[in-house]
Amino acid sequence: MTLERTEELALNLGPQHPSMHGVFRMVAHFDGEIITKIDPKIGYLHRGLEKLAESRTYAQFIPYTDRLDYLAAPHNNMAYVQAVEKLANIQIPERAEYLRVIFAELARIASHLVFIGSLALDMAGWTAWGYCFRDRERILDLFEMTAGSRLTVNAMRIGGFSQEVPDEFWPALKSFLDDLPEMLEEYQGIFYGNEIAMGRMKSVGILTKEDAANFSTTGPVLRASGVKHDLRKDAPYGIYDRFEFDVPVLYGCDSYDRGLIRLLEIKESAKIIRQAMRDIPEGPIMAKVPKVLKPPVGEVYHAVENPKGELGFYLVSDGSTKPARLRIRSATFINIQLLPAISPGWKIQDVIAIFATLDAVLGEVDK
Amino acid sequence: MFGKGLFKGLHISLKRMLGPNVTEYYPEQKPNLPPRVRSSMGLDPDKCISCGICANTCPNKVITLTSEKGDNNKKVLKTYQMDVGRCLFCGLCTEACPTSALTVTQQYENAVYDADELQWDMIKRHRHQTGKEG
Amino acid sequence: MDALNKLPLNIAAAIRGLFGDPHSIWADLTMTVIGIVLVIVLIVLAALILILLERKIGGWASQRPGPNRLGPRGWFQTIADALKLLGKEDVTPAEADRFIFKIAPMIVFALPMMTLAVIPFGMGMVPIDLDLGIMYYLAISAISTLALLMAGWGSNSNYSMLGGMRAVAQMISYEIPLIFSLLGVVMITQTFSLSKIVEAQSTIPFVVIQPIAFVIYFIAGIAEVNRAPFDLVEADQEIVAGPFTEYTGLRWGLFFLGEYGNMTAVAALITTMFLGGWQGPGFLPGIVWFFLKVGIIIFLMMWIRWTFPRMRIDHLMGLAWKVLLPLSLLNILLTGLGIYIYQYVLRIGG
Ligand code: SF4
Ligand code: SF4
Repeated sequence: MTLERTEELALNLGPQHPSMHGVFRMVAHFDGEIITKIDPKIGYLHRGLEKLAESRTYAQFIPYTDRLDYLAAPHNNMAYVQAVEKLANIQIPERAEYLRVIFAELARIASHLVFIGSLALDMAGWTAWGYCFRDRERILDLFEMTAGSRLTVNAMRIGGFSQEVPDEFWPALKSFLDDLPEMLEEYQGIFYGNEIAMGRMKSVGILTKEDAANFSTTGPVLRASGVKHDLRKDAPYGIYDRFEFDVPVLYGCDSYDRGLIRLLEIKESAKIIRQAMRDIPEGPIMAKVPKVLKPPVGEVYHAVENPKGELGFYLVSDGSTKPARLRIRSATFINIQLLPAISPGWKIQDVIAIFATLDAVLGEVDK
Repeated sequence: MFGKGLFKGLHISLKRMLGPNVTEYYPEQKPNLPPRVRSSMGLDPDKCISCGICANTCPNKVITLTSEKGDNNKKVLKTYQMDVGRCLFCGLCTEACPTSALTVTQQYENAVYDADELQWDMIKRHRHQTGKEG
Repeated sequence: MDALNKLPLNIAAAIRGLFGDPHSIWADLTMTVIGIVLVIVLIVLAALILILLERKIGGWASQRPGPNRLGPRGWFQTIADALKLLGKEDVTPAEADRFIFKIAPMIVFALPMMTLAVIPFGMGMVPIDLDLGIMYYLAISAISTLALLMAGWGSNSNYSMLGGMRAVAQMISYEIPLIFSLLGVVMITQTFSLSKIVEAQSTIPFVVIQPIAFVIYFIAGIAEVNRAPFDLVEADQEIVAGPFTEYTGLRWGLFFLGEYGNMTAVAALITTMFLGGWQGPGFLPGIVWFFLKVGIIIFLMMWIRWTFPRMRIDHLMGLAWKVLLPLSLLNILLTGLGIYIYQYVLRIGG
């Protein structure tokens, strides 16, 4: 008996689909439940940020960077302002550096919480999602009381930090960090430790070390495939070389490890924040920066490790007040290219999980 | 043992089910926003010196203002328009304002039915608000 | 208490008394109609309450209050939702197979009605007392597979199609352990009649004698009614809403009613087969005991739904064929051995 091939089914997932993050769209081709081909379509959220930058002054572009990876806005701010500072050769005060680190790591925790929540939600783990967002709320409160906004924080300025943190900030931060282990245990209990979730993610969506490297993947996705690469350690920016922390690396190469590594990274971020809280000096938070900033002619590339991977800004200055060219190297734009490569052969449910573990934020993909 | 995780999960969700809620009953219970929250803009026309720095700082050309020469050659604010539909609520303008005439406010119920209502006449709004308060 | 227990019977007798001959065909007919109407009312009421309860439990589990606007603490929310559904436009996709598309929700809604009709709700309170009650129940509940396939096929949409196919694969697989798990009880009681099975549990509910069968039936029952973690049929993160994707308004509402009706029916059967049905300590009337037990089972189902992620389809199949089926066969074997030993001991003793 020969096996008859059945007709392939094409299914359109997105841009409005319950499982899609943001406005990502993919056309999935099936043979039964098995994916044969994935055709990702991006660009639904394209706002032309790179071009917009050319008509804004250096300082004016900071609020736009908030809208790249809107789950971790401080990282985008930081990458951009550090790039400009590199270009214009500005030294910033110590206290501002520490505040930047605290904010960036808080944003990393917040972003990973969203990740865990939406990974659970993509497998119908509604309750786990609720818990993650409940706890993320406390980080957003911290952002809100300092910078005045929850998502589009706009906290950093060229030459320092926008505002001194209020008095309530430190106790609130401390209590959050104290409660963090308990929260992580809860996620472990309700989601990561759940046999059904394990069954859905273990040994699924294998991304080999070679593939990961060849696709120039960065961030947790790469580290879950056994490559120890973290810009905070490998090319320290700001004052990251002063902190002691580990870079978690997992060797499973599957969806589960890509999920779990975020949980481990949250712990490391908490370590960094604790050290920063201990060491932060008193002092000013803004350097002397000319009102009208005209960086010397030249170009610079500066990259930071944002929660999703390497976020880089390439800036070209022609000596005027506006950048001549800005290019954003966003992590998820590159990580998302993995989807068509690793999905075929897995079931549709697995692909939803794989996509969730790539942690795409469409603001950053489409720019 | 297989199944341990399942029971752990059930235990957690039951504990939360019996525990207190963490949400806010929104329209009845208004959130208490910290004073730095940028959810609206407010202008005090008496403080404004019509320098136009705010309009220049704004990345999105939200602000347009006109002024006229008053007595002893001081500029007096005549109109102050904000096209809030385009506002990023980034706060760069309020940061730049030398006299703190333009400030962020914590009024967050800004939804309107008509796009035209997003053209805020800041002087009128100020009068309206102070009138209500006084 | 006995009087309360017998009250429904007395009312029934009184109604029958209205006819000249209490056992004439007209009296029987009237009683059947009344029974059916009561079952319909029960299903609609159950759906209204359960939908709200589901949302409340989902809310509480993630530390929210759930619906809280309409009526005291939001308890009227489902009524408003139902009214809203009534007012929605009824869309039939242009490419749909109209007849199949339209009839599927009706079948889904009718099934729990037919299954609940044979459940003994209280002493002597069986809308229709069939000698082959279990057989009938299983046969009817199996039809829902067909209805979901019809909805999936008739909608002519890929999401629906996948959902319908999943429904067939899943429900047929789970039907087998489901039926086998009930066999143990049947072997002990030597009857297919649900009311006789309830009577046989007057001293001890069968969950004590048949714990394996209870667990198997509970799991397979959840899979039968497509509830999380086995809700692959309407897995919204994958196939939007499976077979229901293209439905709107009242038709969609019928699916919803049917779904919750099915859930009630499964819970009612579990109560009848394993938890002693309406039997319970005498301080509450039988019907209250019955609904209490049904409520507990339903709460368990909801609790599980709001805790677990969805299973993968191959694990789902594996669970049915590799775990539940052998276990249920083992259970039959053990039950047979137990009966044999029991009879042997009886013979020795006597
Ligand atoms: S908040 Fe930002 S976008 Fe809005 S008016 Fe001020 S500077 Fe312009
Ligand atoms: S910057 Fe301040 S003072 Fe100057 S025009 Fe704007 S609001 Fe008025």
